[in-house]
Amino acid sequence: MEQSKGKIGIKEFIALTILMTGTKLADDTPAIIYEELQNAGWIAPLIVGALSIIPIALLIRVVTSYQDKGLIQVIDHLFGRFIGFLIIFILWGISFFALIIDTAIYTDIIGTMYYSRTPTIAIYALLMAVCAYGGKKGFEQIGSISWAVLPYIKVSVLIALVLSFFQGQTSYLFPILGPGEWEVIKESSLKLSIFGDFIFIFILVPFIKSTKDFNRGVWISLCIIVAEVTLAMMIYVVMFDYQSVMMLNYPYHELIRTVQLGFLTNMETFFFPFWLIASFVRFTVYMYIAAMLFGRLFKIKEFEYAIPALATLVVFVGSIPESPTQSIFEIRARLIDVSTPIYIILPLLIWIVAKFKGDLKHDKAKESI
Amino acid sequence: MLKKLLKKVYSKKPNVPEKSSTEDILRKEIQLDGNLEQTLGFFKEIYSYPDNQDFVIRNIHINGMSKKAALIYIWTITDVTLIDQHILTPLIRNNSTSSKIEDIVSIQSVDTKNVIKDILPEINKGSAALIIEGDPQAYLFSVTNFEGRGVEKSENETVVKGPKEAFTEKSSTNISLIRKKIKNENLVVESLTITERSKNDLFIIYEKDLANEKLVENVRERVNSLQVDAIQNLSLLEQHIEERKFSIFPTVLYTERPDRAASFIEDGYIVLIMDNSPACLVLPATFWSFYHSSEDHYLRFHYGNFTRLLRIIALFITLFTSAIYVGVVTYHAEMIPPDLLLAIAATRERVPFPAAIEVIIMELAFELIREAGLRVPSPIGPTIGIVGALILGQAAVQANIVSPIVVIVVALGGLSSFAVGDISMNFSIRLTRFLFLLVASLFGIYGMAALFTFGIFYLVSLKSFGVPYLAPLTPKYVSSGDTIFRRVLQYEMYRPGYVKPKDIKKK
Repeated sequence: MEQSKGKIGIKEFIALTILMTGTKLADDTPAIIYEELQNAGWIAPLIVGALSIIPIALLIRVVTSYQDKGLIQVIDHLFGRFIGFLIIFILWGISFFALIIDTAIYTDIIGTMYYSRTPTIAIYALLMAVCAYGGKKGFEQIGSISWAVLPYIKVSVLIALVLSFFQGQTSYLFPILGPGEWEVIKESSLKLSIFGDFIFIFILVPFIKSTKDFNRGVWISLCIIVAEVTLAMMIYVVMFDYQSVMMLNYPYHELIRTVQLGFLTNMETFFFPFWLIASFVRFTVYMYIAAMLFGRLFKIKEFEYAIPALATLVVFVGSIPESPTQSIFEIRARLIDVSTPIYIILPLLIWIVAKFKGDLKHDKAKESI
Repeated sequence: MLKKLLKKVYSKKPNVPEKSSTEDILRKEIQLDGNLEQTLGFFKEIYSYPDNQDFVIRNIHINGMSKKAALIYIWTITDVTLIDQHILTPLIRNNSTSSKIEDIVSIQSVDTKNVIKDILPEINKGSAALIIEGDPQAYLFSVTNFEGRGVEKSENETVVKGPKEAFTEKSSTNISLIRKKIKNENLVVESLTITERSKNDLFIIYEKDLANEKLVENVRERVNSLQVDAIQNLSLLEQHIEERKFSIFPTVLYTERPDRAASFIEDGYIVLIMDNSPACLVLPATFWSFYHSSEDHYLRFHYGNFTRLLRIIALFITLFTSAIYVGVVTYHAEMIPPDLLLAIAATRERVPFPAAIEVIIMELAFELIREAGLRVPSPIGPTIGIVGALILGQAAVQANIVSPIVVIVVALGGLSSFAVGDISMNFSIRLTRFLFLLVASLFGIYGMAALFTFGIFYLVSLKSFGVPYLAPLTPKYVSSGDTIFRRVLQYEMYRPGYVKPKDIKKK
């Protein structure tokens, strides 16, 4: 059972990042944003994307100045054993908690929207079984699969969005700024961590063929994700108007239920499989990252072997909350609020320490030679 | 752990009394010493003369040397007229005293050996051995003539436009068919004896200035490390050298078309040929090599890609139709337009089984017809068609065992499955179809998406001789871009990067 430790190229990396973060347009993230921002919700991803440039740029500056070191190794190097352990533990906590909550939500989506009679635990177990299998195959495979399925997933999303655009009312977008410009900026910046996945992407640096690829890949995927999430959220408003969009927990799924094409009046089963595949890949990446952090924390070299155990844990913890549509929605909103400061402070902290240690200058000197 | 346990169970040697053969082995080590009577005695014993009917010892007197001699051969695998005209006649009629054997006999290749062990395999391959009184060596004349059929049309990989000839069971013919297409001094035909008892020969063919040396070395190593008594042909060898024996997908390509083999060699692949196999093995193989056919490139750009399109559609139809039917009818009935839904419901009304059982019955019946049709003696063949189509289709519907739409669904899937030509890939897809059917009946579309993701994970983790199974789609390599669709011939400029050829650019 040898795992290949191969590296992935820029295409695979972008595909993976897009699937990891972009899939959020199709769960309850839009609902969380619309709750406060009403019909201006679609501006939030733009603002979040713009604000995300700061932490991402800081992290790129620091992480890429070490050859072949990922975020984990950099934190270890900068903060020493004890504080490093603490920071990584927090990161692991967030990633694992996010994995549990998100998988619980997705299970709930599948359960409430499509399979109301199938036992939740069966749906959950199947979801995690596929993710655990994928995670165990190794990172190169996850990258490959992302690239292989990405075009089809994006085409299906695009078709759904285009179809619904023609069925909607563009006038619903106005007034553009919804509750007011100050409110929009404030609330969006509080939701900064909806793109918090980008921190975790820096853990994957050692798996990317070159730091240049990584650098370009991060920016390209950030642009694509911002564009895609903004477009999707705009279309939700166009389609449903803000009152109902605030009520809907899973707007994407309501959307694909509503669109029609010619004689096909119920098309959701055409879009559903693609969304599923995207979700499987997304959680496989989450799983892998959580397992990597876990492996670092407890000094497990072959951390892939911990994945099945972690997946089982996820299933059991994730099925604890009752009536997940409401309760997990609340928990998730809290998690986003809590992790937003970390998303800003941690990169800043890392950058300051690196600067203080003089690692960045040293690197610059090397470059000039 | 399970693997270890299984290995332990399998490697246990059953306690069966074996007869020692040390005596036989020792006898074969003996060197020739010029004593004709004694040497012939050895050979007679080894070959169980005269019980062994086709083993011949022809005693002669060479006039010129005035010596007794004997010619040993197996007549069923030798060219008897050749022996008669070019060995026996010159030897007997020869009068000069000093001339060497090589100068008397007019046979293409003459070799000398002096240990019995080395002489035996040559005789077994169809050579004739000449042993002369007082001469401590045997002269081996190659007069091999194995029977075999001529070059015929390929039957399993038929094309409309393109060469029709196929490999035969004779390796020499097969090699010549390849050489006919690649007239280049860099084409190497290595020969290896790979088995211990039957001494089966294997030919490794590649272009020296293209094929990656590590790959060739890897193949050589894997073949040499086989410790098997006999491997009759390539179909068996394939199972010996593949990496994952329990994998549902094939990782070695088996093709009967010399033109395909030649074009693979020209791309830096390695081809294996053996006697007794009307085909060759191509290494390494990716998913695409099973999906492609040689005609895709013989047809013009649009026509070729049209067949590719049909094939990929057929592949997905085979995999998914019956599963989608079961999933939709059981879990997602709302997606069917109401009129069609009513029609389906009306036909299903009198069928007592759930949709899944219904489809499985029909799928099984179809597989049975297919298998029976393959094994049945050809005169009875048409009967199977009638029985299959009439009884199983028409009557099953009338008896309310299956609904008519299921017959359509299964027939569509069955028909499409023939579009994937390669027999191994065909089996993988047919087997996977049943898996999809199973998950669709348990979880509907969700289960199918899960299995599909699972399957892609499995595919990307597969490797054939170090080459990722879905290359060059992912991971990306320099290549001619020939995956689902092909490009215009002039734009296919590069050899596949994943086989790491020495010369990447085609001219």
